[in-house]
Amino acid sequence: MRPLMYALSGVFTAAALFSAPVSAADLRVALSTEPTSIDPHYHNLSPNNALATHIFGSLIEQGPTQELQPGLALSWKPIKDDTWEFKLRQGVKFQDGSPFTADDVVFTINRAGNVPDSPSSFGIYTKPVKEMKVIDDHTVHFITDGPYPLLPNDLSGIRIISRKNAEGATTADFNSGKAAVGAGPYKLVSFTPGQSIILEANPTYWGEKPQFDKVIFRPVTNPAARVAALLSGDVDLVDGVPTADIAQLKKNPAVSLDDAVSNRIIYLHIDSDRDVTPHVTAKDGKEIKNPFKDVRVRKAISMAINRQAIVDRVMEGLAIPAGQLLPKGFFGVSPNIQVPKYDPEAAKKLLAEAGYKDGFKLTIHGPNDRYINDAQIVQAIAQMLSRIGIDTAVDTMPRSTFFGRASKLEFSLMLVGWGSGTGEASSPLKSLLATYDKAAGMGPSNRGRYSNKEFDETLAKALVTVDDAAREKLLQKATEIAMADVGLIPLHYEVSTWATRKGFKYEGRSDQGTQAMGVSIVK
Amino acid sequence: MSTSHSEPVASVEVAPSARKAIAPWRRLLSAFLESKLAVVGLVGLVLILLVAIFAPWLSPQDPFDLTQIDIMDSKLPPGSESYTGMVYWLGTDGQGRDMLSGIFYGLRISLTVGILSGFFALIIGTSVGLSAAYFGGRIETLIMRIVDLQLSFPAILVALILLAILGRGVDKVILALVIVQWAYYARTSRSAALVERRKEYIEAARSLALSTPRIIFRHLLPNCLPPVIVIGTVQVANAIALEATLSFLGIGLPVTEPSLGLLISNGFNYLLSGRYWISFFPGLALLLTIVAINLVGDQLRDILNPRLQR
Repeated sequence: MRPLMYALSGVFTAAALFSAPVSAADLRVALSTEPTSIDPHYHNLSPNNALATHIFGSLIEQGPTQELQPGLALSWKPIKDDTWEFKLRQGVKFQDGSPFTADDVVFTINRAGNVPDSPSSFGIYTKPVKEMKVIDDHTVHFITDGPYPLLPNDLSGIRIISRKNAEGATTADFNSGKAAVGAGPYKLVSFTPGQSIILEANPTYWGEKPQFDKVIFRPVTNPAARVAALLSGDVDLVDGVPTADIAQLKKNPAVSLDDAVSNRIIYLHIDSDRDVTPHVTAKDGKEIKNPFKDVRVRKAISMAINRQAIVDRVMEGLAIPAGQLLPKGFFGVSPNIQVPKYDPEAAKKLLAEAGYKDGFKLTIHGPNDRYINDAQIVQAIAQMLSRIGIDTAVDTMPRSTFFGRASKLEFSLMLVGWGSGTGEASSPLKSLLATYDKAAGMGPSNRGRYSNKEFDETLAKALVTVDDAAREKLLQKATEIAMADVGLIPLHYEVSTWATRKGFKYEGRSDQGTQAMGVSIVK
Repeated sequence: MSTSHSEPVASVEVAPSARKAIAPWRRLLSAFLESKLAVVGLVGLVLILLVAIFAPWLSPQDPFDLTQIDIMDSKLPPGSESYTGMVYWLGTDGQGRDMLSGIFYGLRISLTVGILSGFFALIIGTSVGLSAAYFGGRIETLIMRIVDLQLSFPAILVALILLAILGRGVDKVILALVIVQWAYYARTSRSAALVERRKEYIEAARSLALSTPRIIFRHLLPNCLPPVIVIGTVQVANAIALEATLSFLGIGLPVTEPSLGLLISNGFNYLLSGRYWISFFPGLALLLTIVAINLVGDQLRDILNPRLQR
């Protein structure tokens, strides 16, 4: 009973934290994942990016479904094969009153990829920029290595900082607030890790006037505590509503829910490269050749998984079965790919054909605190694989250990997720399926080391094709090649859910970000 | 002086009863049975042990066999029937595991972990504690400072760090718990042995030139056992609770072979949604187990403690 008591006392202390009185024009938010820093170029992580969007503006902003919108740049167009021209918004002031100019853009792009000790660098977005030319205070030319049509998408991920305030500044200077001066709708008041992030409205913001005088974010990692805080009226908005509680919350008139199909695919990465893979053995424990090198085995595993059952029973309906890397509606999604059919009998046959009539032994790994219901999905998959004769054990761990070990290639079959930061298909294709090449920046998260020459060539062609329609065709073709070859096993797209207290409404975002700008007050 | 006077008297008392070998046990048993509550605890504990031992024959399902559980049967309330006609008397968890079977097997794991870790910690801790008291001097200082150092850290913290290094598995949890617990036994047995060491029967043994191990284990140990046994029962209950805490926090045992703590942790996610049974029943089982052990332990302490003897 003791652990339960600990957990319950956690709920109560979390509730007690929120009892300070606040005025009506304030917004109080409980976050499931705390941003790791205020520095917008330190860690490319959804919660960090969502927070940075409040304080700093981007040249190009992303709407709720990641469509590109003018931000600090008014317009952008390619003027030569290797040159993009960006026209900047005039008369914009940073929060300290200094003007925003082309010089700040150059300063930002030079810094963004070079922050020391960055756990996940923004270099993937700034690498394509070979050179920048300041034409006048409000015009910048970006020179790339040959045609690079994705530059606007990439630059939409970079938040602009001010040279005057951030020259020579470290990540710590941003966290203390000294360098955290941007041109976004909210100003940073304070950042207390583990406790709160407080923002206030920026009266000189160039766009629509901020809705709230003050926004208070508090990390509440325990899902039950988050829901309890909302129900007791201590916060106005929570993200990461636990799927198990949604049915109950829907019936509650004091709460309104909003969900959005996310750009995050949950999938299994398979070691399809090494001759012997660490977590596969024969049933008697003897070492065997890596069965996943055989596409029939990969296909069998994909067919053995009942995606609809996972969506219905584990995700309680809040996910969409997946057959590729992004849900319908995103750029580069192939209309020709179906969700793989659940067929355990055919899967068994395929295994037998591949020479694994009696199956083998396997340990499947996954995080237990990163994705919605991650540990449970892994267990459900273990059940399904056991049914086609693969003796499956499960090992789940906190993300702090999981991702390090996954990147060191310690696993054979692992559950991972990927959100497309650019809102189109090249992001997952490049990161997850392209042949691993550190120098070229390809396949940085290809933890199964999948490699297919035809795929690489198609993708490389797509990345330099300027014409949108032609590029989309190539991205679709690349996706089709990788899916037919089962380069990874897609499971489902997450549907993220937010809950607000009566009087507020949140418009869900496909990048899973929680932003005060998406909250409206309803009477 | 008065203590040394009472000594020979005590040995005179013990000597005749030693002739009728069962007598001290019978005396202890009747003392134990004086408390109704302790008897209830003992009966409960025996029942729980039987359930744990015979779990594979009592359980309607093998909850660790993934082919026997079905995600389509997940989160069913108590009393539901599966499509094969099996009744889930206590409902199912998020994976479709029968809660009743899960609890039976979970008890097995929890008790195995608690008893084995307690047993090994007792052996190691007591040996170390007795040696420290017997040899004294630098060895004692060194050992007792290590014990102090270990006891100054919260057990849960030490166990968390150890398991982060060791990884998952029943054997690793047991090892971690032994490392966490041995210091309690060492301290208790040392303080008991410090008193005994100065008594005449040890001096007599020494003057007979008996070997050191023989003196420690044949003469010192039996006389230091009562407090160690009491600590042992308390520590077994603590070990079970600690294991449950570790499992609840998501480290320790593999998720497909849940102990009670892991079952509770799985169900915790469903508490607000009204599916109480997933953590309530395992929680109840854990509570009853720990209470039963503590009732027995308390009574043992009372009857073995000479100061409380009438």
